[in-house]
Amino acid sequence: MFKKAFKYAILPVIIILTAYNSVYFKKLDEVKAAAAPEFDAAAYARNYFDNKLPEALNKAVEINQLAAMLQKDEEKTFSTHSNALGIGNIRYFLVKGEGTITAVDENNVSVLAAADGSEKPVKIAIEYVFGNAVRDASGLININEFENTMDFNNVSAEINKIIRGEVLPSFKAKAEKGKRMRFVGALELNQEHLNFDDPEIIPVKLEIVN
Amino acid sequence: MKRFQVVILLVLMLAACSGRKDTGESKKIAIVVSTLNNPWFVFLAETAAAKAQELGYETKIFDSQNNTALESNHFENAIASGYGAILFNPTDADGSVSNVMKAKNAGVPVFCMDREVNSSDAAASQILSDSYSGCVALGKYFVETMHKKGKYVELLGLVSDNNTWNRSKGFHSLVDYYPGLKMVAQQSADFDRNKAMEVLESILQAHPDIDAVFCGNDAMAMGAYQALAAAGKAEHVKVFGFDGAADAIDAIGEGKIAATAMQFPKIMAQTAAQYADEYFKGRRDFPKKIPVAVELVTKENIENYIAYGKKE
Repeated sequence: MFKKAFKYAILPVIIILTAYNSVYFKKLDEVKAAAAPEFDAAAYARNYFDNKLPEALNKAVEINQLAAMLQKDEEKTFSTHSNALGIGNIRYFLVKGEGTITAVDENNVSVLAAADGSEKPVKIAIEYVFGNAVRDASGLININEFENTMDFNNVSAEINKIIRGEVLPSFKAKAEKGKRMRFVGALELNQEHLNFDDPEIIPVKLEIVN
Repeated sequence: MKRFQVVILLVLMLAACSGRKDTGESKKIAIVVSTLNNPWFVFLAETAAAKAQELGYETKIFDSQNNTALESNHFENAIASGYGAILFNPTDADGSVSNVMKAKNAGVPVFCMDREVNSSDAAASQILSDSYSGCVALGKYFVETMHKKGKYVELLGLVSDNNTWNRSKGFHSLVDYYPGLKMVAQQSADFDRNKAMEVLESILQAHPDIDAVFCGNDAMAMGAYQALAAAGKAEHVKVFGFDGAADAIDAIGEGKIAATAMQFPKIMAQTAAQYADEYFKGRRDFPKKIPVAVELVTKENIENYIAYGKKE
């Protein structure tokens, strides 16, 4: 009698309980989130822009000096003053300058940067502020800190967002032909096919002087 | 005496087993590539093999046919056959990690070329194209040539490959700021020329009025161009690719393709082979990842470039 009761009543309960406790369902999002906390590119970019980049900007090369150095010894100038995270011809410089605004258009503010009797026309990008120039020019960020390159690239996107949101609006409102300005920014140059005629600078700091 | 023979036998067996781990002495390098159905990867694999041979190694190229299961078999075969290092172009950023780990655990270093695996400690080093930056430059040229307005289609590569998304994200990180540029369709064509042609033919049925097609590689760009030419729209619709493959470079010169982003497979393949050689000679401190710069190629600077690289 007891055997029958065990067979028909208790055994199924044990089987159901065992089966129920053997299987767990969790949302895939929760499991993924627990396994690898999501990288916060915006916070990383904010810390870089506010706390790390300012010190590196002190080492920016004056644009006329850079022109003279490139003319004298291209290879040495690239190896001393440029940074890049990998192999290839594309390298980045941190540059600075002061001069008179010669033109303002939809994409750029043109400036004639002057120093020590030299003059160099440059363009400050105000429309296409994209890419890795500002991230890579300082040489402070190491790609190997990042689990995958998408996180690393998102840092660039967030840095550029800060520049577009915080650096450009007040400058664009005041930039006019004839005004004097100071700039610090990042410049991309191709070492093998160097074109320094009309350099386009991605701005980090912009200031109207008068 | 019998006991002595058994001991000798056991010692010999142990020595044989431990010998498998000591792959540092091997003079064979395996090259495992995602597919040989695309000339770009053929060039990558053959350049890696040529460099390894030049450095004194025996080589064999394995074609994974974009299939991680087949890729897994290749890894098992390579490890069992005593290859001392693997130069690897993965099929799947996540799915290929276990294969790399399998080799690592067997003492066989893996050097990734062009494509990434999502693990920072599985491969000895990963030499990767900076696809994101290349597509930012491509995106800027796209916005300029489209005058900030028009309808376009995006053809993605393999959805499981990080390069697919790095390229797409680089492109969109810029293009999406221009509301006048409307993406009417985004579909994967697996980096394959024929598939791209079929996919675009079908998209053109629903969107006959597109102005541009952005493709995640040159093979798809050439397929897209074929579909547009067949529909009589090649004159009007601008096609953008990525890779710097031979036919795309010719097509830019002929005005069929608007632009591409030049990768440097020769640099990636040769660096991977060089690293494998240095590993055999005792070096262990390899950078985990090395991005290789990608350059924009248009009709304005085409004279500086040849297929898969720059003119010497």
